[in-house]
Amino acid sequence: MTSCLRAVAAIFLILWIGGFVSSVEASDLKNTVRNLYGSQGILLEPSPLPFFTQESRFQASSLQGLDQLNTQLTSSIGLPSFGSSVTGFTFDLERGIPIRTTESLGPLLTERATTLGARKLDVTLAYTRLNFTKLQGKDLDDLELVFRRGDVNGNGIQDTDGPFSFESDIIRSRLKVDLDEDIISFIATYGVTSVWDIGIVVPIIHVRLKAKASAAIFDQFGNLGGTRIGGLPIHKFGPQSKCDPSVDPPSSTDVCDAAGGGEETGVGDIILRTKYNFVRNAGGLTPDLAFLFEVKLPTGDEGRLLGTGGTNLGGLFIASKTYGRWFTPHMNVGYEINTKDLEQNSIRYALGFDARLLSKLSFDADVIGRFKPAGNETGKHINDLSLGVKWNPLSAWIIRTNIQIPLDKNSGLRADVIPTVGVEYLF
Amino acid sequence: MSFLTSRMTPFIVAVCIVVGVIVCAPPSGEAAKIIALKSADVDVYNEALEGFRTGSQGSTVIEYDMEGDFQKGKKFLAQLKSGPRPDLILAVGIWALQVVVEEVQDIPVVFAMVLNPTTVIGQEARNITGASMNVPIEQQLALLNKISPHVRRIGVIYDPSKTGGLVKQAERVAKDQGVRLITKAVASPKDSFAALDAMQDEIDALWILPDPTVLASESVQYMLLFSFRHKIPVLGLSENQARMGALLGLSFESGRDIGSQAAELAGGILAGKSIEELPFTTARKMRLTVNLKSAGKLGVHIPREILDRADVVIR
Repeated sequence: MTSCLRAVAAIFLILWIGGFVSSVEASDLKNTVRNLYGSQGILLEPSPLPFFTQESRFQASSLQGLDQLNTQLTSSIGLPSFGSSVTGFTFDLERGIPIRTTESLGPLLTERATTLGARKLDVTLAYTRLNFTKLQGKDLDDLELVFRRGDVNGNGIQDTDGPFSFESDIIRSRLKVDLDEDIISFIATYGVTSVWDIGIVVPIIHVRLKAKASAAIFDQFGNLGGTRIGGLPIHKFGPQSKCDPSVDPPSSTDVCDAAGGGEETGVGDIILRTKYNFVRNAGGLTPDLAFLFEVKLPTGDEGRLLGTGGTNLGGLFIASKTYGRWFTPHMNVGYEINTKDLEQNSIRYALGFDARLLSKLSFDADVIGRFKPAGNETGKHINDLSLGVKWNPLSAWIIRTNIQIPLDKNSGLRADVIPTVGVEYLF
Repeated sequence: MSFLTSRMTPFIVAVCIVVGVIVCAPPSGEAAKIIALKSADVDVYNEALEGFRTGSQGSTVIEYDMEGDFQKGKKFLAQLKSGPRPDLILAVGIWALQVVVEEVQDIPVVFAMVLNPTTVIGQEARNITGASMNVPIEQQLALLNKISPHVRRIGVIYDPSKTGGLVKQAERVAKDQGVRLITKAVASPKDSFAALDAMQDEIDALWILPDPTVLASESVQYMLLFSFRHKIPVLGLSENQARMGALLGLSFESGRDIGSQAAELAGGILAGKSIEELPFTTARKMRLTVNLKSAGKLGVHIPREILDRADVVIR
């Protein structure tokens, strides 16, 4: 009981730390990319008469492009889930003795149907590093956005010749985005009964988002500076374009660099979960079956990129069966509802196994996937390979390591590899 | 601070619920104090504890899980000796009983969910009684007899160091029922093969005992193979063995009922009865599995009475 209270006290301590440790550098980290050139998008310098004033001609296009990229980046940031080790017993009816089931320590990122055991408390501290490198298959340090201006003469097309040929000018912006997260997760799972677990995941997140953009004006033939009439540029950057003066000299009118971003630290979205194991040790070919329900609370500040800003509800059906007391294939299938944005609702699935390699060392491998039936193309369907090792050096201690490798980097915001290390203690 | 007030409210409520579940109300009153030492966290043991609690409503039952660790169990009992003496100790499972037998001599002990308890406590433990998992021998032999009146010779393989006492008792019961036990003693699982081959023309049925030596998986497989080869029905110990091919599987019905039997014994002790007045019990409710596929292969007709009584029929 003392250990249980200690664990609860630890949760409060982590929340207290997470709640007060925050950066003052950035207050709207989520909109870093969108606001690179200010909240109104790219504004050009007004052209002198007799030309049409051109300052707002790329505004809508740039706002839309930057906002879309911003959303693609920020909506894909998420927290991996963690399953607890199961170190219990099953019963040999013929011999009348319990049999240890600790031969395999369970997978790290997916779930087995078995529960922890009555009045058992499993506490895990895990560290995960996410260094995102790709968005929809494109390198984050070499993104390109092209902004097109509106129709000036109202003929419904962008003229390529004649006096309005400047309608075909474009702004090409090259962006370099550094986005990474360090997540320390405190995970506690408690066995209320032998078949019912409740648990909580409290993530402390440090997120760093830095973006640099270099925009340049081109004419339809690719000439820097855009269309010129009488040697004077129709479109040009100026003071109101919010270029970074440390990079671009005030005299530069055809290139405009900008940078933004910052770092934030705090509590992310807290997850409450419960698992009920409704079929176990049924014999024959029947696997152990369980249902897991989880709620992700909007405790992480969305603006600071620490949370999603909405409540997520998820249900997961779990089947697993141990063969030969060392090999446990498992399957998870479920659905997650994003109450804030129903297009982000997703089908979650995982298929894999965990196996005992040595008496105190187990290995797990899984394919973990997520499919958003109503989602846009960004991260609509992603699959990762998860490989993990668990080591039980002392009686109640378990060391976990895991890497998650994207199987397809052309979908969504992806890291090359996501490493996780952790230590777990079973009270 | 606004973070805590605005975003943490639902979480704090949830944590309070968790704490509420974790923190149990302490026992109070002058009820009999029973320490329940559980061998490990196993469903069937938890069922037995539930059955025991239900049958011991007036008592305070404090549960301790030794998690399969004998040293942990011994340490707990050592701590127990330095505190207020309990009125009774309940040992759930064979490991808990083994620890209690070693460490406790002066407190009444009731066990539950133990197979072949005499192998652990001998015949002379004066402070111990309990509810075993064993199925009454009478019922097992009677079941074979009901399958076929022609079953007069029942083969048994056993390790004298494990189930010698059980076999002696079974021989007496068999004699009373007019059947004969053909026994072969073995010292290792490998001996089972030769023992079985030696009795192939001497027996009408084979009875698997809860004997750890005989229950090695290769021995059980050979027994089932032997059964099909020589068309000799096998009475197994569980539904699992029936699914593997035994004609019948007979086991205790539930942990809850064994726990309930243990509670009745504990109630007797707390009411002032001596241990001698309360002998070990065997399971009073049974779970019967009949494998009709095996019956077909063996050419055995299962009477309607048996099928009606069966909890599981494998077709």
